[in-house]
Order: sequence, then C-alpha cells, then structure tokens
Amino acid sequence: MAEFVKVSKLFDAAVEEVWKLWTEPEYVMQWWGPDKFTCPLANIHFKEGGTSLVCMKAPDDFGGASHYNIWKYTKIVPYESIEFIMNLADEKGNRKKPTELGMPADFPEDVRTLVTFKSIGKDRTEMTVTEFADFGQMSHFAQLGLEQSIGKAAAVFEF
Amino acid sequence: MNFRRDVFQAISDPTRRAILSLIAVGSLTPNAIAEHFDSSRQTISKHIQILTECQLLKQEQSGREIYYQLNPQKIKEVSDWAEQFREMWEGRLRHMDKILKSTKKN
Repeated sequence: MAEFVKVSKLFDAAVEEVWKLWTEPEYVMQWWGPDKFTCPLANIHFKEGGTSLVCMKAPDDFGGASHYNIWKYTKIVPYESIEFIMNLADEKGNRKKPTELGMPADFPEDVRTLVTFKSIGKDRTEMTVTEFADFGQMSHFAQLGLEQSIGKAAAVFEF
Repeated sequence: MNFRRDVFQAISDPTRRAILSLIAVGSLTPNAIAEHFDSSRQTISKHIQILTECQLLKQEQSGREIYYQLNPQKIKEVSDWAEQFREMWEGRLRHMDKILKSTKKN
C-alpha cells in the first residue's frame, strides 16, 4: 500500500470535538461536499464492520449530479484513529464500479482511508487524513512513487 | 482520456520509476541507464521503450548517441491529476475548521 493523499490540519478544539466531525451526521453533512458541493445525505453507521453512506451533490451549474460513496469501517480506536475503505455506490449504498456510474475507468476504487487524531495540549488537536492504494492493482495511484522524481525533475526543469 | 491509464501503467513498475528518477537528474544514454541496474540491457531497453511510448521520456540525438530526458509536460499532467484529490481534502479540512469554530461560539 502506498500513500496517495495525505493532509493534516491543526484544530483549536479538543479531540472529542474533532472526533464528532466523523461520527455525527450533521457534522459530516457540513464538510463532505467539496467547495460549492452540498452533502444532502449522511447515513452514518459508526462501528467496526459498519458502512456509512454519504452523498455529495454538485452545484446546479455543474449539472447538479449526486455522487454516493460508502465508507466501510475496518478499525476504530476511539479518539485515536478511524480506518475505512471508500467506494462509489448507488443511492441505496450498493457498491458500484466507476465505469457503471459514468466515471473514468481509472477513478479510484477501494481507497483505504486512515484518519488519525493527536491531542496537542488542551483544546488543540491535529488530524491527519491519509488515503492509500495498491500499486499495480490501482496503477493510477502509482504516481506517488514518482513524487520524488517530480521533485528532482522540478529542480532541473522549470515547471 | 486514455493517456492516464497508459501513463499510470507505465509508472506502476518500480524499475521504470527508478529509471525516471535517474533521468530526472540529467539526460542519459540507454547504456548509461542500464549500468545502474542488474537487469539485462534488453529488459531495461524494453522499459525505456514503454516510457517513451507514453511520452514520459523524450529522445534527443546528440552525435551518434541517443539521450533520454524527462518530458516535464507529461509528468505535470500526471501530478495535476493526482493533485485534484489532494485539493478536495484540503477544502474539506478548511470546512471542518469552520464547523469547529462555529460550534465553539454557540
């Protein structure tokens, strides 16, 4: 497994509050949709082996399409970490292949996602989200291995 | 849209990624590339061919020698594509920060 995306942020809030961003549907609905998207649905079944269904809806001038994802939780350590496998789905939460939903064949599937929480003193928490994928099986993620090369290349070429 | 599949397949191989890393430092001849690997020259040659076919590498003739160099445009296309996913998460983290700040006020 290789890291695909890794993002961190320090929040001015206690770990119990930051944790709720993932466990309370009304919180998830406020952040799951990317900029300008909305999240009209967040069916959260927050337990190991449970599956949550979340929806993000594109703005009308982007076609207004709804995209559903399922998160199947594989490991939960309270206030420390959440691990789940993310896939595309239909509105009932049935897993779908990207091509079945009109997405490109190289759209990510089986994305293992790890969220970690680190309490830094009172009311300060660092949260990190990492998405992992297999090389080979999901070759579109393989560019990560190239990250180093790109860094070196950037020093040689200006782009 | 197929360029992505081809390019990503090309770089899913560790030897090919190693070749790219090597060439990122400077243009090299096929022989100079092969010297860095235990594999046979034919094997390395095949890898170079795949990288060239999907335009990650460019050939440059210099006298009698052929040099390979990275095609920065193609590499940028690949990294830009992956960057979209990163930006999506960055946006979500900003939203999360706003949520936590607003609940604190209430």
